[in-house]
Amino acid sequence: MTGKEIYEIYAPKNVKWTEWVRPVPFVGIDIYNRKKIRLINDKKIGFINEYKKDTAIFVDLPNIESIEYGISLAQIGYRPIPIFNGVDEQINSQSTTSSYLVEEGLISGAEKLKKIKIDNNANPVFILDSNRLNRYRKNESIFDNSWDLYGQDIPSYNYFKDNGINKIIVIGEKINRDLRKIFFKFQDVGIEFFQTNGYSSLKKVILKKTVKEKLEKEEL
Amino acid sequence: MRLVKIPDSKYYEYRLNAMFDCYKWDPMFYDSNTLAKYVLILSEQENKELIQLTENLDKETRLAEEYLNKDKKLSKKLNLPKKVREQIKNMQNYDKKNNIRLMRYDFHPDIEGNWIVTEVNSDVPGGFAESSLLPDLARKTINKKELTYTSFGERMVEEINKKLHKKGTIMMVHCTCFSDDRQVMQYMGDRLQKEGYDIIYGAADHINFNNKKAYCILDNNNKKIDLIFRFTPIEWLIQMKPRRWDGYFNSETVSCNHPIAIYAQSKRFPFTWDELEKNGISMKTWKKLSPETIEVNKLKNKEGFIYKPVYGRVGEKISIKEACRDDEYNKILKDVKLHPKQYLAQKKFLSKPLKGENNEEYHICIGSYTIEGKHAGFYARMSKYPRIDSYAADIPVLIESRVK
Repeated sequence: MTGKEIYEIYAPKNVKWTEWVRPVPFVGIDIYNRKKIRLINDKKIGFINEYKKDTAIFVDLPNIESIEYGISLAQIGYRPIPIFNGVDEQINSQSTTSSYLVEEGLISGAEKLKKIKIDNNANPVFILDSNRLNRYRKNESIFDNSWDLYGQDIPSYNYFKDNGINKIIVIGEKINRDLRKIFFKFQDVGIEFFQTNGYSSLKKVILKKTVKEKLEKEEL
Repeated sequence: MRLVKIPDSKYYEYRLNAMFDCYKWDPMFYDSNTLAKYVLILSEQENKELIQLTENLDKETRLAEEYLNKDKKLSKKLNLPKKVREQIKNMQNYDKKNNIRLMRYDFHPDIEGNWIVTEVNSDVPGGFAESSLLPDLARKTINKKELTYTSFGERMVEEINKKLHKKGTIMMVHCTCFSDDRQVMQYMGDRLQKEGYDIIYGAADHINFNNKKAYCILDNNNKKIDLIFRFTPIEWLIQMKPRRWDGYFNSETVSCNHPIAIYAQSKRFPFTWDELEKNGISMKTWKKLSPETIEVNKLKNKEGFIYKPVYGRVGEKISIKEACRDDEYNKILKDVKLHPKQYLAQKKFLSKPLKGENNEEYHICIGSYTIEGKHAGFYARMSKYPRIDSYAADIPVLIESRVK
């Protein structure tokens, strides 16, 4: 399958939320001729019993694991929306983040996903790579392909609210700094947040700005 | 000038091809689709007129920047960042013959039937693939193969070939953490690779300068660079640590663009025009096409002006009230009060919208490129609001030619 064909499995025509599927890693699949590595594993979803109409999910775990959760949540009715936005490194150079793991995981994920029937209006499970924030370069000759998620990369809080979503579950070790930045505004309009590392039960989270976050200049 | 709708039945395929064949990797901005469902068609006359005006503007801009590079007193009016001012002495060896000069001028149609030019993207204009590949995809999609266009990418390849003769290493310098930047570089890099060049993608701090020549320091890619194709803005470049960026200012490696671009990039450029004219450099086309621009502190009770940041990008922080979202307008006014020198006031003009399906109105901005003084294609965007910002959609431009 080409990157474009794989993209179409994640973003079929006339299906809600799929306009936000980011093409970047799918383009990389073609450029670097990526192949599937292995079948991805099913993850046990213990933190919710069933699909919930008022809930969207963000999976923020390392590359393949995030895709595994995304596809497993598809099996209970959520629509996986990959929003990976990291670019591939310059050929032969070391990099801060491994885009190829994401690209290969998406190929394997697509093979499973195409066999799952999901409602065209199903709520989204956004899939991220928590390694995106690895910005440390042990020397300056390393290619920095780390990336942040920005508010503009996902639907607005109004879009979530207009579509009946007032709860967001984050699957991750914590709510990372870029997500926090976006979610403060979501919280202000009444969207509630819950967190799990995938194994633990859901914990309600109230986001409070740290001193540093308070001092950060708001983008106009 | 008119809009032609891409049939709804073909739009999904068009968008998909734009992403995978035309490097359109950023198709959404919040809830806004950034790929228009329309094609912009210019008449042959409009095309000719825009080309003529663009090349006139370019001639004036290039003479102006060379003059400003020699006249420190006049360039003070631009409020260049201190770190750039310190580099002016290093730019004295600038020789336009050794570099490739690329710019993009923003044209807007007004309700009186005139073209208004609001600014030049002098330093790092983008939109390369949108102006090179998208028009071809669009004309196939709407089945109008007789429509023509100038491909930016092909013009750029011609100019680079003149300098490097299809041999050598080109470094595509950009912010490697942003896929939006990489999409611009990747199109040009792939196209140049087909010409036979060795292409390296890297950040501004992956270049070291030795005896005024650029060398790549990316691991396993350590080599001499023959051309620096820069997409990292100067204002960001000078923030880099460790400080190695001085080399960009006096580099003898061919650059596109050389940092001399910073003079016209400052939106305070109009404040130098009278003095330039006194010194024999005509700014006639600029003066004819630009809205009146004044310092914020001279605005006083004058009405009908908007604020613009001196180093703004993609329409951000421009105080057009009806185009601002949420409390953005009040925040801009507050910021202007706090930092008046970081803004200027520009006379607001009334943009003439074009009609789309169901009489919906769309405002248009046509970016017209020049490479080495010659027109090099169009990059247009459209918006429901009279401000063309990040929410605007890319729209391919095609030309109606009477010659079949």
